[in-house]
Amino acid sequence: MASRRGFLAGLLATGLAPAATWADAGAPRWLSAAGSPDGGFALCGIGEDMGLRFRIPLPGRGHAAATHPERPEAVAFARRPGTFAVVIDCAAGRQTAQLAAPAGRHFYGHGAFSLNGRWLYTTENDFEAARGVIGIWDAQHGYKRTGEFASGGTGPHEIRRMPGGDMLVVANGGIETHPASGRSKLNIAVMQPNLSYIEDGVVVEIAALPPAMHKGSIRHIAVSHSGEVAFGMQWQGDANGPALVGLHRRGGAVRLCTAPDAQLRAMQGYIGSITFAAGQREVAVTSPRGGLVQMFDTASASYLRSDAMADACGVASCAGGLIVTSGTGDLVRLGRDVAQVAHPGLMWDNHLVAL
Amino acid sequence: MRLIPLCLAMLLPATAFAQSAADTAQSAVTQHILPRYEAMAKAGATLAETAQAECSPDAPALKAAYNDAFDAWIAASHLRFGPSEAQDRAFALAFWPDTRGITPRALAALINDADPVVRDPGAFAGVSIAARGFYALEFLLYDPEILAMGDAEYRCDLVRAVTADIAALSADILADWQSDFAAKVLSPGQGSPYRSDEEAVQELFKALTYGLEFTPDTRLGRPLGTFDKPSPKRAEAWRAGRSLRNITLSLTSLDDLSGILAQRDPELAARLQDAFQIAIADAEGLDDPILAGVADPLKRLRIESLQQSIDHVREIVRDELGPELGVAPGFNAMDGD
Repeated sequence: MASRRGFLAGLLATGLAPAATWADAGAPRWLSAAGSPDGGFALCGIGEDMGLRFRIPLPGRGHAAATHPERPEAVAFARRPGTFAVVIDCAAGRQTAQLAAPAGRHFYGHGAFSLNGRWLYTTENDFEAARGVIGIWDAQHGYKRTGEFASGGTGPHEIRRMPGGDMLVVANGGIETHPASGRSKLNIAVMQPNLSYIEDGVVVEIAALPPAMHKGSIRHIAVSHSGEVAFGMQWQGDANGPALVGLHRRGGAVRLCTAPDAQLRAMQGYIGSITFAAGQREVAVTSPRGGLVQMFDTASASYLRSDAMADACGVASCAGGLIVTSGTGDLVRLGRDVAQVAHPGLMWDNHLVAL
Repeated sequence: MRLIPLCLAMLLPATAFAQSAADTAQSAVTQHILPRYEAMAKAGATLAETAQAECSPDAPALKAAYNDAFDAWIAASHLRFGPSEAQDRAFALAFWPDTRGITPRALAALINDADPVVRDPGAFAGVSIAARGFYALEFLLYDPEILAMGDAEYRCDLVRAVTADIAALSADILADWQSDFAAKVLSPGQGSPYRSDEEAVQELFKALTYGLEFTPDTRLGRPLGTFDKPSPKRAEAWRAGRSLRNITLSLTSLDDLSGILAQRDPELAARLQDAFQIAIADAEGLDDPILAGVADPLKRLRIESLQQSIDHVREIVRDELGPELGVAPGFNAMDGD
């Protein structure tokens, strides 16, 4: 593998290679940010065998990444309230560019590409106005910042593109923060999270939670092939909240997923990542606080089962099951071929991004 | 013969921990939490009675009662779980920070409409939480714009409604603790939100951590802003001249709770107390009641130094007290994203 990568990188460097495609990247199947015990941070490429394919240093703590729909290219984002994002050539395993959030903005850690890969959209905080915005970057012209539009709420976190077009769906977590107050939450009493659907920079639909759920910060989302949006929440009220997972389809009402009390409580009010799984009939969510991976049935919006895993957070589906990452450095495959690979010296950070 | 001491040695730590988690919770409830809520309920009742007698914002007795009740709230303001969170009572007592200026707008709306809701205590509990509590009352007693609005009689009724509501909220929190929640903290398991004494202690640890975050990040961080753009008018309760006072009172109360939570380890307890004393001395030495110094490069340095002293306490709490209490969260678990 290493020699193939070296060969590819060499070709790319000479400019002789045809434009690289995702197939050329070969080795890495997933991306994840990681921390190391010495206090450093990196973005890592992970192969099908859960082995490390590349490791690129990051200037600070990372969070998630957006993958280009055509080229083997990804953009990894700083954890909020960070202001950097790095463009990675996943075939060569190296950084090709770095972006900086404009003055008065910081990233929330997520982004998404347009269908044709021309535009990158990033969730950002316009913190003086306490307004969520989506930044627009031109991927064809060196990721030049070209504009922004309103996210439809406060504290936009994960953003995804809906299937088959350029509509975006944004999880507006509802929580106001300001860099002068670190990560302190400034508006819990009046927070209003929502899911906003945005087309051509205009919010076309907002799905809100029932009033009693207004402290359920909608943070992470996954989108199925058929356009169903699954969302994971982080409860900001006392105790654990009435539900932590929900489903939504455009034009419909939010369906909150039910779980037995003990299972709901075991998640400690906190979902770290979410993905569709099992041919999209199920949704997988992780709780690093509860040390659990839970599965929900999408048809009945109800709890199915749990797997225990310390500090579990990043999750992505794979053939026959799921890959889950942990802050302990473990990568675990759940489902048909259960396997575990330890990466001592790496603390997998928050999200596992499928390439 | 040799095996027995070895077995004992292996068993003892677990037993000692279980006992002491229960002891820690007991001390926290009886010595820290209940006395604070008792003081709050008493001061809240006095405030409401005083406002009944004298509702003019110029009345020294009213301002004194207001400041006493506010003091009592600050000393309990980190205890954000259980009865304080039911029906958003704590938010109704303390809607701050108010990043969008909702409080003055909500009060202006009530005054300009002469909304009769102020004459019905039951209905007043249903008005926007931004128009209730200590920060709304601060506007009613100290803000020249609000004081010039509407007629004095209506504002008097509004002061009485807000103070009666503060008294009712404070009494309700205390009543819930006394009749129900103290037992839930002290007897975890069936019927309690806590499954074990350790979980109850972890809730107390979270309260300490919350207070140690709120004071430096929000009470200090908001007025500090950035060096180029300080925001002195974002200081807490500056109209009432209480910004620094709230910080000192909060630190003093957190010092008390931290001493209880660290009681199993006298050496750690002593180090925490030293770190708190440094922070409290920094605060007392500021001589800047409304943190106006954030906009003055030299004075600002001393305010930043206070923030760092509190952050130092926070580090000890996170790195040493946390693990001691079984709170050693993972990389992702403590992330909060």
